[in-house]
Amino acid sequence: MAAIDSGGGNSGKKAVNQEIPLIPFIDLLLCCVMFLLATAVWNQLAAVNANQQVPGQASTEDAPPEDEKVKLILQVRNSGYVLGSSAGESIDISKRVVADQKEFDIDELETKLAQWKQAWDKRDDLIVAPEDGVRYEDVIRAMDVAAAAGFANLSMADGAAFL
Amino acid sequence: MAIKRPEPELLRNIPLKFVRDRVSGHGRKEVDHQIPLIPFIDFLIVLVIFLLMSFSASGELVAQQPTITMPDAQNTEQIEISPIVAVDERVITLDGTRVADTQTQGQSAQVDRIEPLIQGLEAEKRKWETIHPSEPFAGQVIVQADRNIDFRVVKKVMFSAAAAGYGNVSFAVNQREQ
Repeated sequence: MAAIDSGGGNSGKKAVNQEIPLIPFIDLLLCCVMFLLATAVWNQLAAVNANQQVPGQASTEDAPPEDEKVKLILQVRNSGYVLGSSAGESIDISKRVVADQKEFDIDELETKLAQWKQAWDKRDDLIVAPEDGVRYEDVIRAMDVAAAAGFANLSMADGAAFL
Repeated sequence: MAIKRPEPELLRNIPLKFVRDRVSGHGRKEVDHQIPLIPFIDFLIVLVIFLLMSFSASGELVAQQPTITMPDAQNTEQIEISPIVAVDERVITLDGTRVADTQTQGQSAQVDRIEPLIQGLEAEKRKWETIHPSEPFAGQVIVQADRNIDFRVVKKVMFSAAAAGYGNVSFAVNQREQ
C-alpha cells in the first residue's frame, strides 16, 4: 500500500504519516472501465441524407428566381456519371479502366462538380438519379462527392426518368 | 522530512515460528511480495482515457448487422431516431421484422410497392403522431443497405417509404475520417 511517511511521531506530536487508500481508487477505476466498455461505440455510424423528389410537386411559396427553376441532375449510370441540367447541359464522365476493370471516375466527377458549383454558386440542390443495376455503394460515393462539392441539399429521383 | 523506505506490511506478526522463518528469509529466498499497484493504476487510467475517447452519450441508434457491410462516406450528418429499413443480400426488414425478399425485389424491373413495408411504416407513423400530437411529422426513415445491393432494390424501398409518407431518407454509412 502506498504511504507518505514523514519520519516523525516519536516526540509526542501527532504523527503526520498518511496512507493513500489505493484500493478504493482502483475500485473506482474498474467501475469506470466497466461502464465505458458497456457504452463504448466502436463503429462511427452516420447518415447521408436525401429527400425524394416528387415530380410535379408545386411549391406554395413565392416563385423562385429564374436560375432556380433549372434542375441540376447527376445521373449515375452503369456506363458512368452524367452531369446535366434541365437547361440542356450534359457532361459525360465515363468509367475508367483500372486493372482491367471499369470503375467510376470519382476524381473527374469531383473536378466537374467543383466547376459546376462555381457556375451555379447560389445553388446547393442537386438531383441524384441512379439507374437500375448500379451498386448502392457507387451511388453513396457520388452523393458524398456532391456533398463535398457544396451540394448539400440532395434529392433522389429515378434515373430512368432522365434517360 | 525523511523519506522512509517502504517495508513489507503483510506477514509481520506470524505466531508460527517455522512460518515466520520461512517468510522472513533466514538465508533463503524471501517469499514476501508486494503487489505492484502503481503500474496497475497507470494501466487502468490509460484504459479509462482510451474508452472515454470512444464514448458516445447518444449511444448507437443503428446497430451494425453482421450481414450488412455499409458503404463509407466523409460528408455525413448525425443519425436521428427513425424507423430502420435494413436491406441485406437476402431479406428486407423493418426494425427487425422481415417485409420482403431482396432477390424477388431485385428481379422485377418495375418500381413495385412493398406492401408489408408500407403497412409497417404507416403503423409507425400513426404511433408517432399519437405520441407527438402537436409536432409536425418529419417523415424520415433510415435505410441501412449492404454496399453491393443493386440500387433498384433501394429504389423500391424508397418508393414504398414515400408512399407511406416518409419522404426523407437517411442512408446509414460508416463515417470515414476527413
